[in-house]
Amino acid sequence: MGLLDKLAAWLGFKKKEVHVLCIGLDNSGKTTIINQLKPKDSQYEDIVPTIGFSVEKFASSALSFTVFDMSGQGRYRNLWEHYYKDAQAVIFVVDSSDKLRMVVAKDEMDQLLSHSDIKNRRLPFLFFANKMDLREALSSVKVSSMMGLENLQNKPWHICASNALTGEGLHEGVEWLTDQIRSNQKR
Amino acid sequence: MHMLKRDKKDEEDGSSNPYANLEKSAVLQEARTFNETPINPRRCCHTLTKILYIINAEHEGEHLGTTEATETFFAMTKLFQSNDPTLRRMVYLTIKEMANIAEDVIIVTSSLTKDMTGKEDLFRAAAIRALCKITDSTMLQSIERYMKQAIVDKVHAVSSAALVSSLQLMKTSHDVVKRWVNEATEAVSSDNMMVQYHALGLLYHIRKNDRLAVSKLVSKYTRQSLKSPYAVCLLIRIACKLLEEDGAGHDSPMFDFIESCLRHKSEMVIYEAAHAIVNMHNTTARELAPAVSVLQLFLSSPKPTLRFAATKTLNKVSMTHPAAVTACNLDLENLITDVNRSIATLAITTLLKTGSESSVDRLMKQISSFMSEISDEFKVVVVQAIKSLCMKYPRKHPVMMNFLSSMLRDEGGFDYKKSIVDTIISILEENSEAKEAGLAHLCEFIEDCEHTSLAVRILHLLGREGPRVAQPSKYIRFIYNRVILENAAVRAAAVSSLAKFGANCEDLLPSVLVLLERSLLDSDDEVRDRATLYLSVLKQHQKVLNSAYILNALNVSIVGLERALHHYTTEPSDVAFDIKSVPLETQPITEQKTPGDAMQSKTADKIALSRQDIYSEQLSAIPEFDSLGPLFKSSSMPVELTESELEYSVHCIKHTFSNHIVFQFDCTNTLNDQLLENVTIHMDPSDGFEVVNYVPAQCLKYNTPSTTYTCVKVPDDPLSVTSTLSNTMKFLVKDCDPNTGEPDHDGYEDEYVLEDIEVTVCDHIQRVMKPNFGASWEEIGDDNQIEETFALSAKSLAEAVKNIISFLGMQPCERSDKVAEGRSSHTLYLAGVYRGGHDVLVRSRLALMEGAVTMQITVRSTQLSASEVIASAVG
Ligand SMILES: Nc1nc2c(ncn2[C@@H]2O[C@H](COP(=O)(O)OP(=O)(O)OP(=O)(O)O)[C@@H](O)[C@H]2O)c(=O)[nH]1
Ligand SMILES: [Mg+2]
Repeated sequence: MGLLDKLAAWLGFKKKEVHVLCIGLDNSGKTTIINQLKPKDSQYEDIVPTIGFSVEKFASSALSFTVFDMSGQGRYRNLWEHYYKDAQAVIFVVDSSDKLRMVVAKDEMDQLLSHSDIKNRRLPFLFFANKMDLREALSSVKVSSMMGLENLQNKPWHICASNALTGEGLHEGVEWLTDQIRSNQKR
Repeated sequence: MHMLKRDKKDEEDGSSNPYANLEKSAVLQEARTFNETPINPRRCCHTLTKILYIINAEHEGEHLGTTEATETFFAMTKLFQSNDPTLRRMVYLTIKEMANIAEDVIIVTSSLTKDMTGKEDLFRAAAIRALCKITDSTMLQSIERYMKQAIVDKVHAVSSAALVSSLQLMKTSHDVVKRWVNEATEAVSSDNMMVQYHALGLLYHIRKNDRLAVSKLVSKYTRQSLKSPYAVCLLIRIACKLLEEDGAGHDSPMFDFIESCLRHKSEMVIYEAAHAIVNMHNTTARELAPAVSVLQLFLSSPKPTLRFAATKTLNKVSMTHPAAVTACNLDLENLITDVNRSIATLAITTLLKTGSESSVDRLMKQISSFMSEISDEFKVVVVQAIKSLCMKYPRKHPVMMNFLSSMLRDEGGFDYKKSIVDTIISILEENSEAKEAGLAHLCEFIEDCEHTSLAVRILHLLGREGPRVAQPSKYIRFIYNRVILENAAVRAAAVSSLAKFGANCEDLLPSVLVLLERSLLDSDDEVRDRATLYLSVLKQHQKVLNSAYILNALNVSIVGLERALHHYTTEPSDVAFDIKSVPLETQPITEQKTPGDAMQSKTADKIALSRQDIYSEQLSAIPEFDSLGPLFKSSSMPVELTESELEYSVHCIKHTFSNHIVFQFDCTNTLNDQLLENVTIHMDPSDGFEVVNYVPAQCLKYNTPSTTYTCVKVPDDPLSVTSTLSNTMKFLVKDCDPNTGEPDHDGYEDEYVLEDIEVTVCDHIQRVMKPNFGASWEEIGDDNQIEETFALSAKSLAEAVKNIISFLGMQPCERSDKVAEGRSSHTLYLAGVYRGGHDVLVRSRLALMEGAVTMQITVRSTQLSASEVIASAVG
């Protein structure tokens, strides 16, 4: 904690904490994205496939995020639902170069949206069309249409093309999320 | 002090245990708060404690179901967002406890790997332990890299945790852990005591099944002189095990190493080495001496642990090598008054074993001054010391008896009381002068005895021994009191005991009849049935009936009887149940006991009792032997038919049936490049014996024992029952690859000559115990009696007795296998059942004249040919 933060905390201006669930198929880059968002000194050097989940923290301009970074491997996906209830926002990561599995990603998303803990809540959904740097990567517009996002009802959503290795596009997404959550709270 | 006492009492009441009245549902409800934000670490810790309590107090009926557990587990995983160290450690504990009750616990894998590789040293070791607990062999690959790193981590706690967890993982994933040998080896050179110890432990367990690798390991580290005393202790244990397995002598470098540890600078190591040497099977006085002298030094150490350890070990040595301990007597004397009563007890009991007869009284007085202060466990040690003393100094029995009887009156648990009763019984059985005093003490004991099994045993003993003392009537009152005052099991035993007095003593019969009649209306079936049976038998006034139904009861195997009756009821037939078809109870073979091995022979008895039942089961599963009838007898020790360390090893056990003998051959193939098939043992019988059939061993793989049987018919002539049979093992050999065991397609016939097998009189007789030999002798009568006189080659009466017993394989009764010292004549009573179910009794009168033993043998049997076979066998 820097001096300013300490002061802010002492004065009761502590940043608001929010719970975010980060999901998406395996190898889509979830852990890499979150690692990139963390302060430099607590970043990992090498990233391995997640088994189960891991809790990470990072901050944006106005919020402090606690992220449950879930494992995307097939056999762990049915464990996501244990964490739906407390989520205040969802980050859904898609590997935009993996055209073949886009339908699988869509399928997982549809299941998520129809889950009772998600269905009737106005949760903001942030999509990252990740790995934009790869040659075969689809544009975010293309990803959005393959995922059928235009049909997404009653939930604010946003899609960003991103490159988790450089951090490109990530902050745009996080700022969008911050605005959404704050306006949610105002209402 | 007063306060302290009260606190302790409160604890016992349970009133101060805040978790005593937890309700599962309320606690699970509370666990939902794990989902709330922000997390309140203090409250969550408290809730986790309650959950742990519930999991571990399952006996109280609050069982945590899988669904509940899984739900709670997932709620708990959310606590990973808090970095509160206390809470996190509680989370680790909960993960470990729930690993086997909740589902999908691998969900925390990444969270734990993150902690174990993270910066927070406080988390790392605990995270490793939790991680290994939830990881199965399929998941292990994914954390292997981290485990290897952790093993060589520079933080000692991390390295130790990784090593110990690896040891746990070995049980399920030996193959993966095996690959961590290099890391473990590196950890052995750590300068931390625990890490070095744990690393050596892991290395050893990885190689445990490879004898050669283990011995390399030991010789490597004995040369390197490890820093950690714990590691050295472990090395001593490994070396000991190797020595034991190899049967190596004291010239082995392993032994040198252990002995050199006697001069180590750490007391722990010195003790371990001394303890190891003392416990080796083949230790002689020469190796013992240095070990005993370091223990002697410990006896005067200011540290109570060292004094305790040394006394305890010396106490053990004094059973096997009393002479070696005598040197420590002076130091042990000093410990008699040690403030630590456990040490004092061990010291005194050691002295009792090593000291002279004259010191016994003094030591006993000393020990009785603080008997009330020591725990039951040590009281048992005292009792055992008394037991062996009585064997050594029979003349001391009055002192001992008094001491034992006062101990019987003291407070104490079952084990303690049982050991006293055992000791009194064995003293009065060994020593006829002690009999009346012993019985009197036991009578007094059962007046107020809360242990049914002990009361039953004593009543049985009274029934057997009581009628034979000068004035049997004095016991009747004690026994009859039991009939009035006790539970059903004790009443039944008392009724049986009374009946024996009635059967043995004419003058007591009328009163016994009156007393038994009172039990005819007992509320318990068993008691009533016994009283009814005994009354009607006794009223016949026939010695034969008394002997058969009261004094010498059934001698069948209980398991066998149950099986036969079950069979009889499931397959009804018009023929009455034949008690002769039930296999006999096998008598444990009791050698003359030496004071030291009293304990060992106890356990051996148990095995001997069930052995024949096991064989009987195995044989009845083989269809070829269906028609042979019930198993009569199995020979007690397997006979080796091959010299050791040759190509094949074969052991034979003989199973006798009414008209057949089945030879069971347990074969082992010690050649790793051969596979044998269709293995049979061909027997070449003579003397009228005929082979009926063979049951081959289908396949005999390297080092996997297998069994083949040969069934032989006994000659019809009742007098030809002994023979010598020669044997050849025949089989088909297939060469095979020593590594994979893969055999060639074709094989060739081959054979292998084995040593001969003797069939002796022994094989036709089963030992049977007749508690009242005289009554049985009368019962059988002299119809088929044969009497002969022989001169024996034995030099002493004891030797003659031993030879006759082993030759005939019959059960000595009335403790007649013991020859009183200094006598010139002795009578040996033997009982058995001859093949076909005929009772056989032998009375053998022995006389020693001018260094030679002559014997007059009288055989009685319910069948003449049996008498003849036995009488002629000795000649
Ligand atoms: N080229 C490129 N590679 C990326 C990008 N983001 C992630 N990767 C790589 O993709 C691989 C998978 O990344 P992870 O972050 O482990 O993926 P994940 O979604 O967390 O996977 P699971 O934990 O198995 O669900 C890694 O080798 C990353 O280096 C990106 O934007 N561009
Ligand atoms: Mg990941």
